[in-house]
Amino acid sequence: MAKIEFRNVVKRFGTVEVIPDMNLVIEDGEFVALLGPSGCGKSTSLFMLAGIYLPSGGELLFDGHVVNEVEARDRNVGIVFQSYALYPHMSARDNILFPLRFKKTSRDQALARVKATAELVRVEELLDRRPSELSGGQQQRVALARALVKEPQLLLLDEPLSNLDASLRLSMRTEIKSLQEQLGVTTVLVTHDQIEATTMADRIICMRAGQIEQVGTPDDLYLRPSSLFVAGFIGSPPINLMAGEAAGGTVTVGGAIFPVEGASGSLTIGLRPEHLRFAETGFAGRIAQIEPMGREILYVVETGMGAIRVLEQGSSVAHSTGEQVNIDFHPENSLVFDTQRQKLITGAHVRAPD
Amino acid sequence: MAAQAIPMASTAASEPTVDWDALATRARLARRTKATVLYAFLIAVSLPIILPYFWLVTIAFSAKTGVAETAVLWRSMAVVVPAVIAFWLSAALAQGRRQLWIGLTAVAAVAALAFAVLVGPDLHLGNFIFLWEPDFASVVRSRVGEVKGAVQFPNVWHAFGNSILIAGTQTVIVVTVASLAAYYLSRFQFPGRSSMLRSLLVLHAFPVLTLIVPMFLMLYWIGLLDTLSGVILVLVAFELPFAIFIMKGFFDAVPWDIEMSALTDGASRRQAFVSVVLPQVRNGILAIAVFTFIRGWEEYIFVFTFLIRNSNWTMSLYMYWVRDDVMGVDYGVVSAVGVFYLVPSLILYMAAQRYLMQMSIGGVKG
Ligand SMILES: Nc1ncnc2c1ncn2[C@@H]1O[C@H](COP(=O)(O)OP(=O)(O)OP(=O)(O)O)[C@@H](O)[C@H]1O
Ligand SMILES: [Mg+2]
Repeated sequence: MAKIEFRNVVKRFGTVEVIPDMNLVIEDGEFVALLGPSGCGKSTSLFMLAGIYLPSGGELLFDGHVVNEVEARDRNVGIVFQSYALYPHMSARDNILFPLRFKKTSRDQALARVKATAELVRVEELLDRRPSELSGGQQQRVALARALVKEPQLLLLDEPLSNLDASLRLSMRTEIKSLQEQLGVTTVLVTHDQIEATTMADRIICMRAGQIEQVGTPDDLYLRPSSLFVAGFIGSPPINLMAGEAAGGTVTVGGAIFPVEGASGSLTIGLRPEHLRFAETGFAGRIAQIEPMGREILYVVETGMGAIRVLEQGSSVAHSTGEQVNIDFHPENSLVFDTQRQKLITGAHVRAPD
Repeated sequence: MAAQAIPMASTAASEPTVDWDALATRARLARRTKATVLYAFLIAVSLPIILPYFWLVTIAFSAKTGVAETAVLWRSMAVVVPAVIAFWLSAALAQGRRQLWIGLTAVAAVAALAFAVLVGPDLHLGNFIFLWEPDFASVVRSRVGEVKGAVQFPNVWHAFGNSILIAGTQTVIVVTVASLAAYYLSRFQFPGRSSMLRSLLVLHAFPVLTLIVPMFLMLYWIGLLDTLSGVILVLVAFELPFAIFIMKGFFDAVPWDIEMSALTDGASRRQAFVSVVLPQVRNGILAIAVFTFIRGWEEYIFVFTFLIRNSNWTMSLYMYWVRDDVMGVDYGVVSAVGVFYLVPSLILYMAAQRYLMQMSIGGVKG
C-alpha cells in the first residue's frame, strides 16, 4: 500500500503539453476517481503512475520516494486497461499467473495464489478458457484478478466498466468497491462517468484539459462545485445554468429578476433540477416536455431564460404539457458563479422571484 | 387516399396464396446452379495449371530412355479427366453429406482401379536413377550408345543439401531480422521512420536483374563469389524489405496495451516481446518463413550467376544441367529430377497450409 504524490508533474507529447502542472496527494488505502471528459489527460496521468509514460517534468512520489525513473516492472502496480488487455494466446489461468512469473514464487505457491485471487473475483470456474471465450464482464474480472494477484501497492483502473452493460456495470461497481475495502489497496479509478465516480470513490479528482479543476468528496463536488465546469459535469440530469447581470441586489436573467446576496457583476446562477419544485410563487414557465424516469419525472419547462429542467420525485405525472407553472427553490440550494472567472462565489445565493 | 388504399388491399389479399414450397424449390435450384457454374469455372481455370504437374509426375514415373511416346500420357488423361468431371458432378448432384461421401468414394475407387489397369503396368522408378547413381548421365547416354561429353554431375544429395542450406539459412536470417526490424518500425518513433517505410516498398519494386552486374562485382571484391554465403547474403538483402513490410503489418495489429500490461506485470521489454507480442504474430512469422524458404529453394538467377563450382550447385542448377545434358536423350530423368525438386516445397506448403489460410496480409484473425 502506498501514498501517492504528484508534485508539479508535467507531461508533453512532442510539443503538445497534455498535463501542464499537476499537484495531487492520494492517501494510503484511499479510493480516488479521476473524472473528466474525453481527452483531458486521465489515462496519461494513470500511465505515468504505472511507469508506462515518463513524466516530462516534476516529481512522482510513492511513499515519499521519487519514482520518476523507476521502471514499470519494478513499481508493483496493478493496472486494468480499458480494453482489459488480456493476453489472447493464454488461458485465464496463465493470464493471472503471468505477473507471478517474474517474482520469486514457486510454481505451487503461484498456482495457489492464482486460485485464491480467482475466487476473490469469482472466476475460478473459467480458468481454463481463453479470453476470447469469456464474456466482457468475465474478461474484466480476469483482468482484475491479474492486477490483484501480485498484491500491488497501487491499483489503477482505466475505465474498467465502460464495456459492460448497464446491470453488469452496476454489480461490478459494488464488487470492485467492496473488494477495494477488503484489500485496502490504494486505488485510482479513471472514468468519464460521473455516477461511477460518485458511487465508488472516496474522493473525486475532476480534470479538464490536463488541469485539476476540483478535488473533493462526491458531496463536495455536487453541492459545492468550485467552477462552472464541475457544476456542469457533475449531476444527471445536468444543472440549469443561467447567465445574467447583477445590479442593486438583484440579478436579471431573461426577464426574471432574482434577489441576490453576496455577489455582483456578471453572474451565472446554477440550479440543480432536483432542487426545483413547482409552487404558487417563483418564476413562470410552460411545460414543454415530460420524461418519466422511473422513480422521478423530468419536466422541461420553457421559461424566459430558456429551457429549465425540473426533477420531481414520484412516479405519477401530476402535470401535463402546455401547462403554465411557477418554479420555486430554496435559496440555500442555489449556486452563484462569477461568469468571467467561471468560479463559484462562496456564500452567495439567489432567491426565487416572488 | 382511397386510390392508394386499393393496391395495398389487393397485395394483402393475395398474400395467403403465396406458394412457399415453390419459392423454396426455386431458391434451392438457383443456389445449385450457381454452385455448379462456379465449380465448372474453377475446374476450367485450374486444369491448365494442374495438367502440366500431372504430366510431369506421369512422365517421371513412366517414361523410358530413348522412347518418345505419349501413349501413357493419354491413357492417364483418359482416367483423370473423367474422374475430375465425375467428382464435380457427384458433388453438384449429391443430396446431403452422406450421398456426397458415397459418391466421392465411388468415383475415387473407380478412378484408382482404372488407373491401375490402364497406367499401372507402365509405372517404374528407373528415372530416379540420379538418386543413387551420381554419374547417371553417362549411364543414360550409354543406353542409346552416346558416351562422350557427359556433364560431371555432383551427387544430387549434395545439391539438395546446398539448396536446403541456402533456403534455410536465408529463412532464419530473414525471419529474425524482419521480426526485430518490423517490431521496431511498428512501435518506435525515430527520425527517418516514414522515409524508411517508403523506401522499403520502393526497394521491393526494383527488378533484381538490373542489379546483377554490380552484385557480381561486389561479391567478387569481397571474395564471396562462388560461395553459398555470398548467395545467402544477396538473397537476404532482396527478401528483407518485403518481409519487414509484411511483419510490420502484423505487429501493427497487436494491441499496444497488452505489451504495456506485460511491462507493468513485471516483464522486461524483451520478455514482453517474446512472451506476449511474438505469439500474436505467429502466423505472420510462419508466412514469411514459408515464402522466404520457397523463394530460396527455387532461386535460380543468383545461383546461376554467382555459383560456379559444381560442388556449390543447388537443386535449381542441378535441374538446369540435367535438362541441358540429358533432355534429348531421356526426358523421363529430367521429369524425375523435377518431381524430386518439387517435393520439399509441396510438403512445406501442405504442412503450413492450415496457418497460411488463416492469414490475411497485415493482420491476424481472432
Ligand atoms: N502518445 C501520444 N502522443 C500524442 N498525444 C497524445 C498521446 N497520448 C495521448 N495524447 C493526447 O493527450 C491528451 C490526453 O489523452 P488521454 O489518453 O490521457 O485522455 P483521457 O482523459 O484518458 O481520455 P479518454 O476518456 O478518451 O480515454 C489527448 O488530447 C490525446 O490526444
Ligand atoms: Mg483514456
